[in-house]
Amino acid sequence: MDVALSRNGARLMRVFFALVVVFLYAPIVILVIFSFNNAQIPAFPLSGFTFHWYHQFLANGDLRAALQTSAIIAALSSAGAVVLGVLASIALVRRSFRGKAPVSALLLSPLVIPYVVFGISLLLLFHQLGIPRSILTVVIGHIVISLPYTILVLMPRLQQIDASLEEAAYDLGASRLRTFRSITLPLILPAVLSAYLIAFTTSFDEYAVASFVVGTRVTFPIYLYSALRFPDQLPQVIAVAVVVITISLLVVVAAEIGRRVVERRLGTLEHG
Amino acid sequence: MGRGEGLLRSRLRLDLTTPGLLGVPLAWLVVFFVLPIAIVAAYSFDVYSLFPGPHGFTLGAWRAFVHDTVYLRLFWKSVQMSLIVSAVIVVLAYPLAYYLALSGTKRKYILLLLLIAPFLTSYLLRVLAWKVILGDQGVINSFLFWTGLRANGDPISALLYSRFAVMLVLGYIWLPFVALPIFVSLESLDRRLLEAASDLGASRLQAFRRVTLPLSAPGIVAAFLFVFIPTLGEFVTPSLVGGASGYMYGNQIVDLFGTGFPDWETGSVLAMFLLGVVALLTVAFSRFLQPRRVVTD
Repeated sequence: MDVALSRNGARLMRVFFALVVVFLYAPIVILVIFSFNNAQIPAFPLSGFTFHWYHQFLANGDLRAALQTSAIIAALSSAGAVVLGVLASIALVRRSFRGKAPVSALLLSPLVIPYVVFGISLLLLFHQLGIPRSILTVVIGHIVISLPYTILVLMPRLQQIDASLEEAAYDLGASRLRTFRSITLPLILPAVLSAYLIAFTTSFDEYAVASFVVGTRVTFPIYLYSALRFPDQLPQVIAVAVVVITISLLVVVAAEIGRRVVERRLGTLEHG
Repeated sequence: MGRGEGLLRSRLRLDLTTPGLLGVPLAWLVVFFVLPIAIVAAYSFDVYSLFPGPHGFTLGAWRAFVHDTVYLRLFWKSVQMSLIVSAVIVVLAYPLAYYLALSGTKRKYILLLLLIAPFLTSYLLRVLAWKVILGDQGVINSFLFWTGLRANGDPISALLYSRFAVMLVLGYIWLPFVALPIFVSLESLDRRLLEAASDLGASRLQAFRRVTLPLSAPGIVAAFLFVFIPTLGEFVTPSLVGGASGYMYGNQIVDLFGTGFPDWETGSVLAMFLLGVVALLTVAFSRFLQPRRVVTD
C-alpha cells in the first residue's frame, strides 16, 4: 500500500493537475489563436486566418525600437548584476567576517521591497540629484532588483565547490585573480550563465520600476502598457505577445536542459 | 593538518580583499536602494518637498494619514484582496505540490517545469491575455453571444474592471510560483515517517493530518508570504483590469506621484507605511523566508 496516496487519490490529483495546467496555458493558447484571426477585435466567431498582424508588428518602427531599448537595458543591467553578484557571493561563501547576517540581509532585501515603493524612491533620488531620466536610470534600478536573484543562484554553486581546489592553486603560487580565472570561474560558469539569464529576463519584462525612471526611449513593457489603451493596436500586440511568450518558453526549457547536462558533467569531473 | 596548510587557510580566511569583494555591491545598494528610501522618508516628513519655499520637519502628513481614514481603509481593502488571493492559491497549489512530491511519478521534474514555465514568461503579456478574455467584447462574452447562451448586447460586465478580475489575474500569475516552496518542503519529507505512522495503525488521513501537514507547514507559510507580500503593493494588474472597484493601495501611491495633482508628501507617507508593514512581516516570518532553499532545488 502506498502510504501517501490511495490509487483513487492519485487519479484524482492527476486530473486536478491536468485541469490546472489547462487553466495556466489556456490564456496563452487563446492569444495564439487570435493572433492569426482576421478581425480587428479578438472575439468569437473566428473570422479567417491571417498573417496580417505579424506583418504589421514587424513593420512597426516604435515597437521594434522599444524591443531594442529593452534588450540593451537587459544586457547592461544583467551584466552589472552578475558582476556584483559574483563578488558578493564569493565574500558570503568563502570569507568569514563580522556582520555577515545583516550584510546578506541587505543584499537580499530588494527581493521583498514593493516595486511601487522602490520605483518612487529612485524617482525621488534622481529628482533630488538632478539626474535626467534615461536608459541609464532604468539600468541602475534593474541592477538593484536583479542582484539578489544572481546571488541566490551563485551561492549554492559556490558552496558545492571544494575550497581546497582554490587553496591548492593559491598554494602553487597562483595569484588571487589567477585562481579566480582558472579555477573558480570555470567551475561556477553554468551558474553564472543561469544568473545572467534570470537577470536578463527579469529586466526585459520589468514594468513597475521602469515606469517611474524611464526616459524618452521607452522600454518594451512600457510600450505594451500604453498600446493596451488603443484598441487598433491590440491585434498586433497579441501577435508580439505570442512571439515573446514562445521565445521565453523555449529559453526556459533550453536553460533547464542545459543546466542539467552541464551539472551532470561537472559532477563527474569533481567526483569521478 | 600541517602548519603550512593551517597558515594558508588562516591567510585565506582573514582575507584583506573581503572589503574589496563586498565594497562595490554594498556601495551600489547603499546609494541606489537605501539612500532613495531615506529620501522618501524625508519627503514624508516634509524635510524635502516638491514645492519651493521654507520646509522643516513636520508630522502633518503622517497625522492626516492616520486620522483621515480614506487611505487606511484602502489599505485594508488591499490587505483583504491579497489575503484572499494568497489563501486560495496556496490551497490550490498544495495538492499540485503533493502530487509531484509524493505520488512517486517518474516525470516529476518535467511536470514541475510545465507548471512553472508560465511564471517565467512576461507578466504584462499574461495580464493582456486576461484583458482579451474577460472584456465585454472579449473571448468569453463573445463566445456566449455566438453560442446563444446569452443575449447579444448583454455581456457579463463584472468579468473585467472589477475586484474579481484583479484577484483572478493575480491568482493566475502567482499560482505556479506558490507550488515551489510547498513542493520543496514535501520533497524533503522523510517517507519513512509516513510508513511508521501507517505501521502504527494510522489511516492515510490521520498520517496526513498528524505528520505531513505539520512538517510541510514552513513551506505553506513561505508560499503564502511569497504571494502576499508582492500582491499587497500591486498596482499594474489593478490598473489594467481593476477599473474603479479594483483600485488598490498601490494605485493610490502611483496617483499621488502622478502628473495630475502630485502630492509627494502624502504619497511618501503611504509608501513608507507600506514598506514598514512589509518589513515587519519579513522580519516576523524571516525563518520561513529562506529563498535559497527554493532555488537550490
